[in-house]
Amino acid sequence: MPPLDDVLLAMPPVLLAALVLFDRHLVRACSLFVLFALAVALTWWWLGFIWLALLEILLGAALTGACLFHALGISPVGGAPQTRLTHWKDPVVLTWRRGLGQSIPALAALGMLATALADMPASDSIAATRWSGQVLVGLGLWAFALHRHLLRRLLAFNIIGTGIFLVLMTLVGEAATAAGHGLVMTGLMVALLGTVLGALLIRRLDTLDAQRVVGSESGGGAP
Amino acid sequence: MIERLGLLVFQPAQPGSGWAVILLVGLPLLLGILGAICRPSRGWPAVFLGLLPFMVAVWLLQRVREHGVQAWVLELGSLTLHWRADALTLLLFMLTQIVALASAAYAPAYLRAVEDASKGSLVWLWPLLGTLVTSLSLIWLAADLLALYIGLELMGLTAVGLMLLPGRVEALAAGMRYLLLALVGSLAFLMGVTLLLGAWGRLDLVGLAAVSEPGPVLWVAMALLSGGLLLKAAAFPLHAWLAPVHASAWTPVSALHAALVIKASFFIALQLWLVLVPDAAVAARLVGGMGAAAVIWGGLMAWRAAKLKDVVAWSTVAQLGYLLLGFPLLIGTASVAADIAWEGTWLQLAAHSLAKAAMFLAAGNLLLATGVSRVADLAGASRRFPLSLLSFGIAAISLIGLPPSAGFTAKWLLLHAALAAGQWPWLVVLAIGTLLSAAYVFRVFRYSFIEDAPLHDYRPVPWGMDLIALVVASSSLLLGLLAEWPLALLRLAGGAS
Amino acid sequence: MSQAWLPLATLATSLLVVPAIFALPERAWRARAVLNLSAALVKLALVALMVVGFYLGHSFEFGFTVVDGVRFLLKVDALGLTFAGLSSLLWLATTIYAIGYLEDSPNRKRFFGFFSLCIASTVGISLAGNLFTFLLFYELLTLSTYPLVVHRGHPRALAAGSLYLRYTLTGGLVLLLGVVALHALVGDIAFGDREVLADLGPDYHPLLFGLFLVMLLGLGVKAALVPLHGWLPRAMVAPAPVSALLHAVAVVKAGAFGIVRLVYDVYGIDLSFELGLLTVLTVVATITILYGSIRALAQEELKPRLAFSTVSQVSYIVLGISLFGPFGTIAGLVHLMHQGLMKVTLFYCAGNYAEELGIHRIDELDGAGRRMPLTSLAFTVGALGMIGLPPVAGFVSKWYLGLGAVQAGMPWVIAVLVTSSLLNAAYFLPILHRLWFRPGPEHGRGEWPEERHLGRLETSGWLLWPTAATALFSLLAGLLAGMPFSPLDLAAIMATGEYLR
Repeated sequence: MPPLDDVLLAMPPVLLAALVLFDRHLVRACSLFVLFALAVALTWWWLGFIWLALLEILLGAALTGACLFHALGISPVGGAPQTRLTHWKDPVVLTWRRGLGQSIPALAALGMLATALADMPASDSIAATRWSGQVLVGLGLWAFALHRHLLRRLLAFNIIGTGIFLVLMTLVGEAATAAGHGLVMTGLMVALLGTVLGALLIRRLDTLDAQRVVGSESGGGAP
Repeated sequence: MIERLGLLVFQPAQPGSGWAVILLVGLPLLLGILGAICRPSRGWPAVFLGLLPFMVAVWLLQRVREHGVQAWVLELGSLTLHWRADALTLLLFMLTQIVALASAAYAPAYLRAVEDASKGSLVWLWPLLGTLVTSLSLIWLAADLLALYIGLELMGLTAVGLMLLPGRVEALAAGMRYLLLALVGSLAFLMGVTLLLGAWGRLDLVGLAAVSEPGPVLWVAMALLSGGLLLKAAAFPLHAWLAPVHASAWTPVSALHAALVIKASFFIALQLWLVLVPDAAVAARLVGGMGAAAVIWGGLMAWRAAKLKDVVAWSTVAQLGYLLLGFPLLIGTASVAADIAWEGTWLQLAAHSLAKAAMFLAAGNLLLATGVSRVADLAGASRRFPLSLLSFGIAAISLIGLPPSAGFTAKWLLLHAALAAGQWPWLVVLAIGTLLSAAYVFRVFRYSFIEDAPLHDYRPVPWGMDLIALVVASSSLLLGLLAEWPLALLRLAGGAS
Repeated sequence: MSQAWLPLATLATSLLVVPAIFALPERAWRARAVLNLSAALVKLALVALMVVGFYLGHSFEFGFTVVDGVRFLLKVDALGLTFAGLSSLLWLATTIYAIGYLEDSPNRKRFFGFFSLCIASTVGISLAGNLFTFLLFYELLTLSTYPLVVHRGHPRALAAGSLYLRYTLTGGLVLLLGVVALHALVGDIAFGDREVLADLGPDYHPLLFGLFLVMLLGLGVKAALVPLHGWLPRAMVAPAPVSALLHAVAVVKAGAFGIVRLVYDVYGIDLSFELGLLTVLTVVATITILYGSIRALAQEELKPRLAFSTVSQVSYIVLGISLFGPFGTIAGLVHLMHQGLMKVTLFYCAGNYAEELGIHRIDELDGAGRRMPLTSLAFTVGALGMIGLPPVAGFVSKWYLGLGAVQAGMPWVIAVLVTSSLLNAAYFLPILHRLWFRPGPEHGRGEWPEERHLGRLETSGWLLWPTAATALFSLLAGLLAGMPFSPLDLAAIMATGEYLR
């Protein structure tokens, strides 16, 4: 049985992730993501990976958060413009049946993961972290399959990535810590770059979309 | 089998070759940055400077011929990265250079002809191109999973960036989809690497080959790694992103992507299988079955596709199926069959790279000249654009696998290997694939030979662009007859040491 | 003494013309004509040089390794040399004919480019020294003839082209599978190394039999063996020189030539006999001969009738090969050349009628003998040859076929020959009757469908002289059959080589 403080520490990221993924309001979801990244940084610090905690704050919370808000068109000076995107709801209505149907791939992946991890027992001190990592991967996969909105999928991607990092750092022993650090740093960079690209794309698509809507409206009204 | 990949227990490298590798990896990046600063308006300076890394590769290949496989360990603090250069990787590097050079030489004239090439995206083209080539070099040379991961991610993101450059809505939408799938693929890859690292505590391929043992961990890890890589390689059930991405990308970018980026994922996947699960015959047959489905489905879709670029893109899906047949022929088979399949697979890879690049370039020329995108609108093209159509045709010969072309020689070897391994179904797959590819290629030609077609407005394409397509296409033809030279090098690397 | 450069140069002559033609502008028809004709002459000279060298006992061989265990091999032997000679001779004639035929028509550059490529592949087929090389050029032939078949670009031509490709590409694929399987079994076999398969032992005989059938299926498509002949009559939409070439030397002959190679130079006649392959061939050839003749009888247009006649005539070659014994062999090989000469003449004539008078149907030919006497004379020579009347070349073929049948102990084949000759007569003699003995527009009855005066003589000289020349050759091949260097003499040399070793 893992100690209680470990379990308590593992809880906030999972809860926050669930909120991020299933909140219907996008701006709130993005704000929650920043909180989530900070909670993960706390976990890193608790596990003794100071450098990773700092990187997580810088790349995960600050830069990724900035990208997400940029995608939404929110800037610190201009405030939040009331574009369609801010209140954008998924076109696909969430029903219980769809929700359950889309959970199958996530459950399958989790099952595979659990089979593999069963061979590598964890010590008490990291068991809670490993479990939280697996839950994050599962939640993220479920959300990725469920949502059609690009930004929500980016969020899901980031959360799966974080889950993998958590599992990874609990798996590596003393000998391979350097390799583990290398993998996580590369992964963080990739996640950040992917988010940057995705955010820029979403922003650009939104602009083009708006232009097209405006263009067709004025074009229709002119004659 | 692992020796064939140049993965030997450590062998000291010759002095000087370490610098050569740094040049190999670094030069394309430098040239890319230089390109962003100078923004060449002609193709020939790009070709001229691009020959530099090629020369380095030739020099290194000479080294490898004399002294055997070269391997290095890069130490960053407590982190170690492993590299190796053998004949296979250097030949792949040269192939990369050839295709990249053709694209780079083609790009300036193409961009002048395309109206929607905005200035901003032009600046980005060259550094992205350089980065892509660098990442490919990393992938060919890397001998551990961390370095492979870095190379793979760099390549994936750069490829997405290149695909987005046209900036049109369709390009962006397709690019977004590509980005998301590529990211998911890299997560799966990362998870696989994580499991391997957790189980055995090391990432270098030579070491992993020695210590890894079969069990659920290895199988799950391999499933995740292969899943991620095959998604990036557009292997059969995971191929849906490919055609839309190509439909709106710039021609030279499409050529590079279909010729190299997809192949790099395939290369990593095959390498990992050979290193980690060299006896998993049943699973390899499963992959072969996916390949068979890809050959048939891709061929059918290419046959039905309305747009010329879609025809070419779907044909990539089908041709990748041929490469996937390498898995069942190489893994768990007797060495008689595996030896032939080994040569056939790499020859098929090279043949398809050259032919597909040439085909994209030729198709790009046709599209530019006619200003239409549908196959049916090419009616009467044979009279007006004989040269573009000739390049298209020569590339098509190699794709179908008709003699005398590299595609034919590769198919011969694969057929021979399938017979030697006693795996009859692949014969049928190769046969159906040939007929389907003939069907979709000659559909294009059938339209082009129509005589009483209405005259469209068309503009002549600069002859340089036609020439580049023709040269690349002819090289895929010549390789068919001169295949012994590169294949002998492959044998040297595998058999001698 | 071995000279590698000669076969290579022969191949290169027609191959290098291709890029040169594509590089010339469309308008430069004069330069193109000079280029084509000089290349054809050079090639003819090179082949003549090889013939002389071959008689003097030199051997010509060129080869390099393509991939481990697979060689690209050009080799000169009597059989290949005859076929190369036939193709160079007919290339020259057909080039001249095509220049006249395509005057002022569009896309001539494309036409002549692929035409040369087609000839290059024929040369390659004839000089190929192993199955891999043969296959290489066999498929190249398919590719290079497709643009020629669809040359006109109208829907019928395009449909015929698609059908042609469907048949030939599938056939090529089947052949490829057979060849690869044979290669996987015993490795590379140079033509003439008959011991390789003969030494395999009886355990392998069922496999060898199966492989032969597979390869026969592949080759049979081009050789237009029934039921694989469907493409040939449809491919008639191609321009006349193309049809002439397709039927006389290029496509159909390539198939027949492949079967000859397979039987004599890969399996060897003894092994083929032992395996019972010859019986299979005899049956297939007999069916094809009779079927083709009957279908020809039912055709009302000239070119389709000639096409079905080709279906039947090419199978004489196969029939000759399938008769075990030197006479059968002689008959098959000699007909390979005779049929080429006679059929090319007939197609030239059909082209002449169509170009000069607009005639496509047989009932429009009434009285054409008076309007175009030389062409009609050539047609008569060809037709009589096809029926097998002396002194035209066809008689020699049929005579030896009969002898071969007796020698092989299959007298029923003679009945087939007689039936087929009667059928030949039944579909050719009415044409001759219309040409010479029916009154037509020239006698004041009706008018020609579309008369054009193409030249000072009965038609353009470009069209007329090749026709006359090939007719003369088919006559001479029959008259002078006993002389050295005649087709019969060459065939006899080859047959001696086959049986006396």
